Amino acid sequence: MKTFLSTIKYDYLQRTRSYSFLITLCVSLAIAYTFVPEPNATYSTIRIANHVGCYNAAWFGYVTAIMTSIFLSLVGFYLINNSINKDEITKIGQITASTPISNFKYLTSKVLSNFLVLSTIVLIVAVMSVILFFLYNEGYPFEVSQFLIPYLLIPIPAMFFIAVLAVVFEVFFKNYSIIQNIVFFFLFSAIAFNTSTNEAQYAFDPFGTKIVMHQLEASVRSILQTDEQTSLNIGYVIGNIKDTKKFEFNGVSFPLSFITSRVAWCLLGITLIGFISPFFHRFNTKERSRGINSIPKVFQKLRDKEITLSSLEKSKIDYGVFSLVKTELIMLFRKGKKWLWVINLIGFVLLAITPISIAYPLILPILWFFQVHRLSEISSKEAYYNVHYFAFTSYRPLRRLLASQLIAGIIMLLLLALPLLVRLAITPDILSMIHIIIGSIFIVLMASTLGILTKGKKLFEVLFFMITYANINKIPFTDYFGGLIHSSNYLLSLIVITVTIGIIGFLTRRHQLRN
Amino acid sequence: MKLEIQNISKKYNRNKYGLKDFSITIEKGILGLLGPNGAGKSTLLKMIATVSKPTQGVIILNKNNILKDANYMRKQLGFLPQDFGVYPNLNAFEFLEYIAAMKGIGGANIKIKIEQLLDGLNLLDAAKKPIGSYSGGMKQRIGIAQTLLNDPKIIIFDEPTVGLDPEERVRFRNLISDLAQDCIVILSSHIVSDIDTIADQVAVMKNGSLISQGNQEQLIKQVDQKVFETMISKEQLESFKNNQIIVSTSRKNGKLNVRYISETPIEHSISQQANLEDAYLYLTKTN
Repeated sequence: MKTFLSTIKYDYLQRTRSYSFLITLCVSLAIAYTFVPEPNATYSTIRIANHVGCYNAAWFGYVTAIMTSIFLSLVGFYLINNSINKDEITKIGQITASTPISNFKYLTSKVLSNFLVLSTIVLIVAVMSVILFFLYNEGYPFEVSQFLIPYLLIPIPAMFFIAVLAVVFEVFFKNYSIIQNIVFFFLFSAIAFNTSTNEAQYAFDPFGTKIVMHQLEASVRSILQTDEQTSLNIGYVIGNIKDTKKFEFNGVSFPLSFITSRVAWCLLGITLIGFISPFFHRFNTKERSRGINSIPKVFQKLRDKEITLSSLEKSKIDYGVFSLVKTELIMLFRKGKKWLWVINLIGFVLLAITPISIAYPLILPILWFFQVHRLSEISSKEAYYNVHYFAFTSYRPLRRLLASQLIAGIIMLLLLALPLLVRLAITPDILSMIHIIIGSIFIVLMASTLGILTKGKKLFEVLFFMITYANINKIPFTDYFGGLIHSSNYLLSLIVITVTIGIIGFLTRRHQLRN
Repeated sequence: MKLEIQNISKKYNRNKYGLKDFSITIEKGILGLLGPNGAGKSTLLKMIATVSKPTQGVIILNKNNILKDANYMRKQLGFLPQDFGVYPNLNAFEFLEYIAAMKGIGGANIKIKIEQLLDGLNLLDAAKKPIGSYSGGMKQRIGIAQTLLNDPKIIIFDEPTVGLDPEERVRFRNLISDLAQDCIVILSSHIVSDIDTIADQVAVMKNGSLISQGNQEQLIKQVDQKVFETMISKEQLESFKNNQIIVSTSRKNGKLNVRYISETPIEHSISQQANLEDAYLYLTKTN
């Protein structure tokens, strides 16, 4: 047992001591800061009809717990869905496989360290919500139970569920990160849009938020003295603060069935790990994927040649970037399994045949999001593949290599958007075309800059997922490709943001090269 | 062709130095860099290769300060790092073409040159296979090929023989000797035999400092008349270790034949001809 706990402890420490985890924490804190709007803020996060809660302990505790559960369920998966893969890359997996640890124990340790990583973020967000309560205090007393109970019953079991899901996905879709992304995307959407309405159904909500949302709606209905359905808005809505009324929310008395269900979700997770344990590859991935009698890598014929320096062709100077862009494109296109291009092809065809009102705001962002695994390492792959010594000692690495990476990324996105661009050109809708081009530059620069800053790909993957999810839900300020109708200044703002991101990436890479 | 490294230091924190006040002048030929792990060899080589910068000092190549103009060095540099990776989805041709483009090398004859290099390194048969499927030795040879793409004038090899089989090592040594005809070659290793036969000059490093420099004869002279062999029992080995610098041990008739370095040899010891390995051990153990 002690060794099992040590495995979890050191895995957890290894992951939380990384620079990328620090950045993730900072981003989480920044987002948590917005969960309960500042009293004079011009946006809302949870709003029932035209009512929001008084800033008492219950409102802070429950609202931030709900927001944390939804937000971290959405992005947390992407933070932790490579824990087994990391062990394989670092070769720790091979050492682990040669120890007596069982598949079940190993996978459970991964679940628990995933869970601890996510719980750490939950804890930090909870502390932040308490601080905000005192900052925005409207004279209500501090009640610790109004923070403790919702956090324990809503996000904590949800995080366990996500931790299990990440391990299950890694076991079954090891080499298919894009499949993980797609399946999780649809699973999350299905859970989020599930409308549980009674006590029994609340138990089937892994995020645990529905019961509180319905209680909030019920509270407002009792104030309005109506049985009609009140509209609960969850998410960032800007500019709807006029005529806002306050109501007093005093928390939820959770039924025993709900509390039991939260524990049951955790037990179910562990049981699921037990079921999938026999299918775990135990780092014998090549034999598993090719069959035990597979042919080893590359066999070489024994030859005995030597390099004769005098007969070597003389090198010619060529400072152009064509070759670099070409190879960067080859790498982008070869990334991932070949058959996954079928998905791109389907998206490509849909962009050509579906009405523009669907193709533009819905299919384009999804199709671009499916390239997340290609884009996320566009400027961090040197570090990932340990090629940085060659890259950073190349001739003018900033002007030539970084520029080539960006150009290749933009070309790929625009090629994928080609059917839509052609249709818009025929219409003609030049403004939308410009918007799409700027959007492609924005995404590529964001991928590059975040990769350069974090030296990894997770932060971009998480943010791109969030942005795409927001795009599908038509949240205006996340519309980077112009799929929604905006004021004339919007494109200008987008260009300014894009340029700023680009400058940050450029300066950071220059700093890295100089130091 | 002259590379001057003047008083460079790499400071990690208040008391920790990767390199401390290191100076050396390198001219055409092969400089063998010897030192135990952590001596600062890779730190020094990364600075020469413009990967990192010293906290103090200057590096001058042909009167050009490469800390100010890194591209002057990069244009004529061939660098094989100790621990490098490859892009697994590219084949050898594509990878070398990519590296050539990074170095600013191209033109119609680049494909011919890559083919010549791959052929000379016995990789032509596998050249169209993804590098991800290559063995460690094959990857190492890809690394060697990329150093030669731009006709470099400064070539840095950091532990280059790792992963190469004995025949490949011999071929590699021949290649380095050829290269040194009109280039500066800096060859770092902790395997003395890799350097012994081919280096024109040898520099020995320890704890971020240069502890000795010269040709093989000059270094060996420092342990002349100090190398001995004797037979001891297994039980005596521990106390022997505490008092002498042991170079090697071998078993013989149930006893141990020990080669060691000492100013005051024990009784029944036989004086031996000193070699570079003896000199290296003596320098690193006594400094």
